Amino acid sequence: MTLPVHYQPVTPIIDNKLDLLLERTIATPPAAVWAAWTKPHLLMKWFTPSPWKTVECEIDLRPGGIFRTVMESPEGERFPGTGCYLEVVPQRRLVWTNVLLPGFRPVAQATRVLAKPCDEFLFTAIITIEPHATGTRYSALAIHTDPQARDRHESMGFENGWGTALKQLEDLMRTESY
Amino acid sequence: MPKYSDRVDRVFHSLADPTRRAVIRRLARGPASASMLAKAFAMKLPSFTQHMNVLEADGLVESEKVGRVRTYRLKAGAMKPAEDWLAAQRKLWESRLDQFDSFVQTLDPKEYT
Repeated sequence: MTLPVHYQPVTPIIDNKLDLLLERTIATPPAAVWAAWTKPHLLMKWFTPSPWKTVECEIDLRPGGIFRTVMESPEGERFPGTGCYLEVVPQRRLVWTNVLLPGFRPVAQATRVLAKPCDEFLFTAIITIEPHATGTRYSALAIHTDPQARDRHESMGFENGWGTALKQLEDLMRTESY
Repeated sequence: MPKYSDRVDRVFHSLADPTRRAVIRRLARGPASASMLAKAFAMKLPSFTQHMNVLEADGLVESEKVGRVRTYRLKAGAMKPAEDWLAAQRKLWESRLDQFDSFVQTLDPKEYT
């Protein structure tokens, strides 16, 4: 059965300079993969690279529903991250972003950069899951905005764009001795 | 990871101010003393010093005091974090998925069936 086109999500065009695609095959059923991505008490056990920890996790598993984590550094500093799900297809596909807050409310870009210095970059993540002869094949695609495009956008109202300033600085540091 | 993003954001933080951007352009031509810089920007030394302290705290410049003269220079490699952001994101996702793989394969079927 072919779904009507408005049920068929657009496949992003991957830009190798901006995006990351990781594909893996593991010896465990898709149901386990899905559970580990969608149940807070399971996700907390692996989501943050050690020695950092995920100390809080909140999941409302539906489009626009909250996906919130709090990471903690070995020194005990806490770094919250909040986003929302865009697509939830059990055992098949999970899409979320931190560009939109729960209920699809756009994040304030300036606070992303200045008030939350330790936040991850803005991204959308697409997890695809499919059964495989030996278990499950899954992929994680993280798509990002161009940091310099972001900088140009955010610097509207400034004398110079940050992107321009960054570029100038990089060029100068490359070409001039100091 | 966050520690890394912190350094990237420090670069952006410093560059968010027109005076600090101008200072960096000036220092790209060579080291300069605090009073020379303040004079070039027609600012009183105390308020100018605040800008220099931000640049130094954010890791974009470094300074050395000889006698009563403090000389500032651009710090080599200060822009490296901003340039390497994708490599850092890759590292995060790879170690995240490494942990995922080892965790999920030991998951009790009671947890997901």
